[in-house]
Amino acid sequence: MSSALLAGLFTSPIHIGTDPASMLWMFPLLAAIAIIYKATKMRVLMWKRFIREVGILFVTLSGFMILAIVVLNLIAWLATT
Amino acid sequence: MKNMRNSTDFALLLLFVALAGWAVPGAGHLLIRETKRAIIICATVVGLFAVGLYIGSVAVLEPVHTAWYIFAGQMLTTPAVGVLTDIAQKGEYIAYGRPADIGLIYTIIAGLLNLLCVSNAVYMAYCGRGQLIGEDEA
Repeated sequence: MSSALLAGLFTSPIHIGTDPASMLWMFPLLAAIAIIYKATKMRVLMWKRFIREVGILFVTLSGFMILAIVVLNLIAWLATT
Repeated sequence: MKNMRNSTDFALLLLFVALAGWAVPGAGHLLIRETKRAIIICATVVGLFAVGLYIGSVAVLEPVHTAWYIFAGQMLTTPAVGVLTDIAQKGEYIAYGRPADIGLIYTIIAGLLNLLCVSNAVYMAYCGRGQLIGEDEA
């Protein structure tokens, strides 16, 4: 029964609207990119330092993405008004 | 002769590390005894791929109607994607719109990140890094 329930999770897509909240789906992707990048780049892996560096990279990536969203929306708004 | 055999063994080791890393994300690093990296890579790549399937369902594994490079990107995660694709093709699963797009992006990025990890594992093995081959510098 639990395997059927588990399989059910992957057989129909979830609902994602076209509202700004759908942009939140970029954060798990950015987190994964930050984790893998730091896991391959750090010469010696120590948990504390690894978590701190992943956090810094994740915040940096998120900041640039949010900035890009704001700038692109501003351009679109200026072009359409 | 001995050098030639050694270089052949070394090339085979690199090939084995690459194939292991592709077969199971993180296994390449596990072979060179980089256990922490292996755990992190496996959890992240498999987790990202699973989230992609959760968002867009197994219908995002579609080799027939999508471009070949999209499916190639997904296949970089692990060869097991081929088995999942076969299962998905037999069922009548449909995904379209934003969930399908986001699911595709997640699964492709998981594959590309695994490619980065495979190349990193091979590079580490080549440089003699990893606890199996040599001591890591502190």
